[in-house]
Formats: sequence, structure tokens, C-alpha cells
Amino acid sequence: MNNLRNLNWSIISSWIVLAIIGLVAIYSATQGPVSEFLPDYIQNNFAKQLFFVALAVVLVLLFQFFTPRTYMQLSYLFYGVALLLVILTLFFGTEINGAKSWIRIGGFNLQASELMKIATILATAQYLTSRRDISAENIRYALIAVSMILVPTIFIFLQNDTGTAMVFLALIPVMLFWSGLPYGVSVYIVSPAIILYLTVFDWKFGAIATILIAFLIFMLQKRVWLTITSFITGIITVVGVNVALTDILQPHQIARITAFTNPAFDPTGAGWNVIQAKTAIGSGGLLGKGFLEGTQTQLKFLPAQWTDFISCVIGEEFGFVGLGLLVITFLFLFLKLLRMAGNHKHPFAQLVTVSVTAVFFIHFVVNIGSATALLPVIGIPLPFVSYGGSAFLTNSLMLAICLNMDLYKRDFSIYR
Amino acid sequence: MNNSSNRIRTSIFALQAIMVLICLVVLGRIFYLQIVQYEVYDELGDQNSIRQEYVEAARGLIYDRNGNLLVDNQPIYSVTITPLNFDDKNIPLLAELLGESDSLVTVLVNDAKRYSRFRTSKLISDIDFKAFSLIQENLWQLPGIGHQIDSKRNYPSEMTGSHVFGYLREADEKDYKETKSIRLGDKIGKSGLELYYQDNLKGDLGINYLKVNALGQSLGKFTEEKIEQPPIQGDNLTTTIDADLQAFAEKLMKGKSGGIVAMNPHTGEILALVSSPEYEVKKLAGRIDKEYWQFINSDSTRPLFNRAISSRQPPGSTFKPLMGIIGLHLGIVTPETEIYNSGYYMRGRPYKDLADPGLYNLESAIAHSSNTYFLNVMDKIATSGKLNTWSRLAKDFGLGVPNQIDLPSANRGILPDSAYLDSRFGKNKWGLGDVLQFGIGQGLVSASPLQIAQMTSSIVNGGYKIEPHLLRAIQRADGSIEQNNRPKEKIDWVKEEYLNAVKKGMRRNVLEGSGRFYAAIPDIEVAGKTGTAQNPLGFSHGWYTSFAPADNPEIVVTVFLENAGFASISAVPVASLILEKYLKGEVKRDWLVNYVLNFVPKEDNSQASASVNE
Repeated sequence: MNNLRNLNWSIISSWIVLAIIGLVAIYSATQGPVSEFLPDYIQNNFAKQLFFVALAVVLVLLFQFFTPRTYMQLSYLFYGVALLLVILTLFFGTEINGAKSWIRIGGFNLQASELMKIATILATAQYLTSRRDISAENIRYALIAVSMILVPTIFIFLQNDTGTAMVFLALIPVMLFWSGLPYGVSVYIVSPAIILYLTVFDWKFGAIATILIAFLIFMLQKRVWLTITSFITGIITVVGVNVALTDILQPHQIARITAFTNPAFDPTGAGWNVIQAKTAIGSGGLLGKGFLEGTQTQLKFLPAQWTDFISCVIGEEFGFVGLGLLVITFLFLFLKLLRMAGNHKHPFAQLVTVSVTAVFFIHFVVNIGSATALLPVIGIPLPFVSYGGSAFLTNSLMLAICLNMDLYKRDFSIYR
Repeated sequence: MNNSSNRIRTSIFALQAIMVLICLVVLGRIFYLQIVQYEVYDELGDQNSIRQEYVEAARGLIYDRNGNLLVDNQPIYSVTITPLNFDDKNIPLLAELLGESDSLVTVLVNDAKRYSRFRTSKLISDIDFKAFSLIQENLWQLPGIGHQIDSKRNYPSEMTGSHVFGYLREADEKDYKETKSIRLGDKIGKSGLELYYQDNLKGDLGINYLKVNALGQSLGKFTEEKIEQPPIQGDNLTTTIDADLQAFAEKLMKGKSGGIVAMNPHTGEILALVSSPEYEVKKLAGRIDKEYWQFINSDSTRPLFNRAISSRQPPGSTFKPLMGIIGLHLGIVTPETEIYNSGYYMRGRPYKDLADPGLYNLESAIAHSSNTYFLNVMDKIATSGKLNTWSRLAKDFGLGVPNQIDLPSANRGILPDSAYLDSRFGKNKWGLGDVLQFGIGQGLVSASPLQIAQMTSSIVNGGYKIEPHLLRAIQRADGSIEQNNRPKEKIDWVKEEYLNAVKKGMRRNVLEGSGRFYAAIPDIEVAGKTGTAQNPLGFSHGWYTSFAPADNPEIVVTVFLENAGFASISAVPVASLILEKYLKGEVKRDWLVNYVLNFVPKEDNSQASASVNE
């Protein structure tokens, strides 16, 4: 093992800062005055999270005894085992809050979809970088890589865990892009999501985005057919969303969509959660109401305030300063991880590090976006901050793998 | 090499740029919420804050076939609770204002807590206006308590129709666990049309958002975001019921036990459906009278049991016309075949036949209800191994199969075949003696009054399968109307000539058979068939199924009376009066009405023997 001093300590520090912010927020959300309204098993969440943080520290250190070759060699096996667990969960899993994502193994509730994240990244990365000639430019290789991601996605979707399934979907453009998919095509495959999002605000935004994206694609790749396809896709998206909003959907459904609330999250009270979340954050002001002083949090106006809406607790009790610090810490982590990826010579290490960063980033954006009504409410945890043992451990292990590959980057640079 | 490391540098830069950009947007959004809009949200947070208020949708109305209003809604006053804000110390005060005992209110509060600590639910409904006003005045002393005006079912028409409409009850824990869209205290249909068409009638709950202070008092509507949902009224139902006819039939059934089904034989539209004894659906609207509820649940006459569709009794001789049709189809008899009745039919043991000794063809065998004729037919069916064919053919007339009626809990009855007999008695443990009686509608054959009415309809409408139903049309909140036309399918093996023979027999049953004393109506040609279901526990049950006018039937009426003895003096006059009322609009035979209202069951002991010839 290389000297631990060579570990990337700026990444480790941001990891620790986020874990501590999370513990503070979980404490406030479950042990504060609010605990009066909560059942015992939820009050235990703080102690459980503390245990998992400690366990994660040990595991991250232990992982540094491996070498990156190990991940490469074991990746397919790991993928198979994780996929089996995901499928078993679908049949024998436990349902919590409507999603059948947990399976009981040896007295622990394991969220197999979390393990699946690591497994999918490692196996897909291994496949895409296993031979020199494999590139996402070739449709055959691209399709195989896409299926490796899509298969677990379908099972996780069937578990009714839409949020996690979406994270998997988002891996597709990122991994393909990194494996040689031309810039233009890469932009093209993410363009409908961007145009759809903007059209919900105003169809003109969608239309402008369509034109800009088509122009960008032309500048990047100089392919007329791709530009035209992108333009037509954009128009269809704008028109489709517009027709849905004006003709098909009822006024109250439109109101829900434009208020960025997801009816599936709470059919009887869509919009309610979002208002409570915005009220919690907004009423925090510059400095917040103080630790354990947040009225929205402590009177249990927030739904799932120790997981999906944990940023509201931080926003309410520590204000713009607290929430801003959280965002900056995350951004710092993302930038450091990407820089780490750029320093790698080995494509496997690059691809894994970039994909891990992408997973963290998507979790971050969707979680904070939901709480601040920038996005529809999609239940998804904030990495390292939200309560959840499986999630904390897997996220930490992903980080551990990145750190490990970084530690060994000199011995681990061969072909290409 | 150079190319690819170029690409990596660019890609890393692009990803970093995207992330920085998006994080700036997030920071900007947080800045906007926490700094720019601080005042707005701080106020909301301080006042703690916005509450959801449900706006109940008006439940759909129910009309009869002529547009008379049968069921509508009436306002009632209710008290709601949000357990989170409610202090149990206030229970005595609340109980005093409500005029209820502390213990009852404690139970209600605990129920609401179990439903949800955070959501508002109904604590008690249908309180009188005085108690309601007292609560309103003292709301400031009772944080967590609210009030609400909602509605209960009201029945403005003459008819009772309890078994048609069904009753509503407040959703219990099981109900709201099953369906997310209902809440504790919501009224949902538990029987009858109210249950069958619950999803249509209920409408969609609306949601208002109110600004409230810490005491739960409203400060007005929350209008910063347009997220409220207006309630959508439930669909209105137009039924096939004729309210006048139904009310009249209910009157005739007072004090009797049994069921009546009156139906349009061509469409399956049910004109009247009565089960007696009947509970009073009015008493189950609003807050339930616990004593009455216990009474109707435990009373030995079972008033909640819908005898018209759920009872299962041997159809007796009303089954004979169908036996004739099957006999003709299987070639066992022709309309001309004559069979001699010697007073009994001998097969292992004697089966009594009370029809006058002599030769009978199909027509006269139905008219005089000769058992010999039909036992003979059944004998030949069984001995030629056609029992299962017989069962299959009879099922085409709606017997022994699930009924399509739009009411819950219709009984499918029994029409045995060899598999059924095997499972009932054991393989090869049954014989001709068990099967023979099926020919005269006795033994294991059993049906509900609804099924006998359906069978009769298929005989008189030219051999079409129909689906009995109570819904004529649905009128939706947006004004659109959807007609409920049920399919009508020809039974392919039934020929016109089979039907004509048995219809003539049924006409002659009224003119010269057991029905003749009370069945005939001046100026109307009535046809019908009586029947008796043996009852080991007491007087026999009487059946009568009839239709009119005989040549072009507009209505089929089937009457079933429990423990009434002879059908000819019990069920027949009831059916006859209903036919008169429907076809003439009014009843002129007051003497017969008085006779029916004062009817006391009588039974000739000779009829309690193995064969009954009504």
C-alpha cells in the first residue's frame, strides 16, 4: 500500500464535512423537539447513521489495501451478484414508503439498488475500456453498454424507486460521452430533457433552446442530418408538451406540473410538500433560526425531513449561510473528483471516476432541486447527508474506489 | 494519442463548467428564497402556516326511469380534528359542547389519531345545529378543532328502495388503507347501487389551501400559488326503476317475507326490485343510530339480506316451461307428444301428480302443472346420459351462472351437472332418484327471484339472453350522458316453435290452471306459472312468474314469498296487481289489494308431500 499521505485529502475532507452536516441535520430532524411526534424507530436514525459513518470510515481505509486491478477483475462478477440481489428484492423485498427497495439479509435491510450503482459503473466501465477498439462511436458497442445500464434500471423501476432508476438513466449519456460518443450526438441525446424542462416554464424558452442546441450541434459536429434531427426532435418536444399542457391535462394537473410538484409523491396533497419545503427554506433567511429552532422542522411540517427533504432542515436552521456552505462543499467535491479523473492515464479509472461524480451530482441536483421547487419532487437522497445506511456506505465505497485508483495512478497507467 | 488527451481535457472542462453553472443556479435559487423572498416565507413559517382543507364533492344524485328524483343530499354539520394541534386536556370541554360523554369523545379522538396525527379528519358528524354553533363560538378555546358543513343522503321519493340504493357508511380503517383517495369519515357506499357505482357517485374531493394561525383559525385563502383543486361533483345515475311501481310493490310486500323482480323482458331493465322485510335506508343516513344498526344486523328476519337477488330456493314448477323447451330441443318430446298421468309417476318410488288423471301434451302439462310429463322428460334426459347437456342448455337462461346485475352479492344459484353431483355426493354416489326431481324444479336446482325473472324474460322475448340491470344512464359532471345499453344475444338453439308452445301453456295456466282465481286482469291477457319450493322448516315458499300482454309482453313479474303456502293464493295476486299497476297505470281491484295486505299464509297439508303441482 502506498503511503496514506498520498491520498487525496481535499476529497476526504469534503466527505467528512458533508457527513458531519448530515449528522447535525439528522439529529435536528429526529432528536429535536420534533421527536415527540415521531415513532421510536425513526428517533433511532441518528444513532444508526453515526454507526454507519464510523463503519464507512473503516471500510474506506480498508479499501486502500486493494489495487485497482481488483475492481477490474471482479467487476463482472460483482455486477452479476448485485443484479441478482436487485431481482430478488423485487420478489422478496420489503416495501417502505411505496418503494420495494429493501431486502433483509442476515438481520440487515439492504438496499440492493445502491450496490447496483457501483456494480453498474464498474462493469460498464470495464466493458467500454476492455479493448482498444471499443468505442461508443460504434453503435454495437454503445448498445451493449446501454443495455448493461438499462437492465438493472428496469428492475429498479419495477421496484417503484423512480428516483434511483432516473440516476441510472442519467449514467447512459455520461458514460457514452466519455467513451467516445461524438460531442454533437452527446448533446443531442440530452437535449429533449433540457427542452422539456424549459417548455414547462414557457414554450418560447423551449423554442429558443431548440434553435440554440441545433446550432451548437452543428458547430460541434458539422453534420447537417444530425442538426436537422435535433431540430425536429426539439420541435416535437415543444409542441408535445404544449399540447399536453393546453389541451389534454386538466387545469389542476397543469398547476401541479408548473408548480413542480409530483402528483405521484402524495396523491391527496400534491403541492403541499413543496410549499412546506419552500417555507422551511425561505423562512431560514440569512443565518437561519438556529439549531433545533426551526419551526417547520420541529413541528413536523416537512415530509421525510431526515432523508429527501433534509436540505430544508439545513436551510431553515442554518439559513443561506448553512445551505450555501453545503452547495459550495458539494461543488468543491465535484471539481476535485473531475480533476482527479483528468489526471488518470488509464481509461478505466477515468471513466469510473467521472461516472461516480455524475451519480453524486445528479443526486445533489435532483434532491436540492426538489426541495427548492426547481424540479418536480422526486424522492432521492442527498449523498453523505441524508439518513440511510446503504446509501451512505455505497457512496463512501464509490469514493473509496476513486481514492484508491488515484493512490495507485502511477502503477496503473498502461496502454493508450 | 494527442487527440484523445485533447478530448479528455475538453470534456473535463465541459463537465466542470456545467457543474459550476448548475451550482450557481441552485445558489441563486436559494438566495432568491432565503434572502429575496424571506419576508413572504418568514410570515408563513411564523404563522405555521398553510393548511389543507378538503372540499367534499357532492355525491351523485339518483333518478328513476321517468326522471323522478330518488336520492339527493342534505347538509349536515360536522366537527373536524387535527390531532397534532389538539390537547387532550380539552376533551371534557369538547364533550360538554357536543353534549356527548367524555369517554365517547376520547374514543373518537383516539380513532382520529390512529388515522393520522397530522391530517385533518372528521371527529363527529351530523350534530345538531345548536351544538354546531356552540363549537363555532368556542373554537378559540379548542386548538386543533375545526368545523365543516357536509352532507348526508336524503330520499325524497315515495319508495323506500333500501335494497336497490344500499346504504353509506363512514369509511373505516380497512377502507382507507385500501384506497388512498378516501379519508377517515368519508362516506362510501357499502351495499346496493351506492356500492356498485361508488366510483361514479363519489366525485373528486377538492382541496383548498388556507392560511391559518397557530390556533388553527383561518386567515383566508392561500393565493400565492395556484394549486387548489375544485371538487368535481359525482356522476348522476338514472335508474331503470319505476318509482311508482316500486312503491306499490313495496306496499304489497309489507309484513311478508320474500322478493319481487319486475323487468322489461326485451332489455333486462329492472322496473321494480323489492326484498322484504326491508330496513329503512333513511335511518342509516347521517350519523348512524347504533341501536337500529344492531337491530337490523341481528334480527332473525335478516332485513339486510336482499331476497330478490341473493336468496337461493328451488324454483319448483316455474322451472317447467324451461324443461319443456329443453325437451323439445333434445327431441324427447314434440308439441304433440301426449303423456298419460295416472296420479303418480313410478320410478323407483311413486312421485305424486295432483293434476287430473288423463293425457297431457306440453301445453296442457304446463297449464295444469302435470308432474308426470316433466319427470318423464327428465327421466329420458338422465337415462340417455344428457344430464350435462341439460345443465348447459338451462344455463343459457341465466340459471346456475353469475348474474350480470349491477348490484353486489347476487347469488348464482345451482344448476347441477355430473361434476357438481360428484363433488356434492361423491363420485358414483348419486343416482336417478337425485336427478329426477330436477325436472320439476325441486331437489338441488335453485335460483333467486331475479334469475327466474331473467329465465322468464328469455322465454317471452323470443329466446334472447338479456342482462338484468338497474342503471339506465350516467350523467357526468361535464354534462355528457352515457347510456347503459346491455348486450342482447340470441340463444342459438332456441326455436320460435318451442317458445310458442310453452307460452301458450303459461297463458292457459292463467285461464284454467292454478293461477286462474287471482291472476286474470280485465282487458289484459296475462300468462304465468306458479311454483312451490318445499321448505322442511315450515310452510312452503310460493313462486309465481308472469308476463303480460301474452302476445307481446312488456313486463315480466316474478314474485317469491317465503312460508306463504299455496302460490296461487299468495304470490299470484301480488304479481297480478303489479302487472295491472304497470300496464294500466292504476289499480282498480281494491278488494284484491285489501286481500293481499291482509293475507295470512295457509297450507294444505297434502301439498307438503314430495310432489307439488302448482
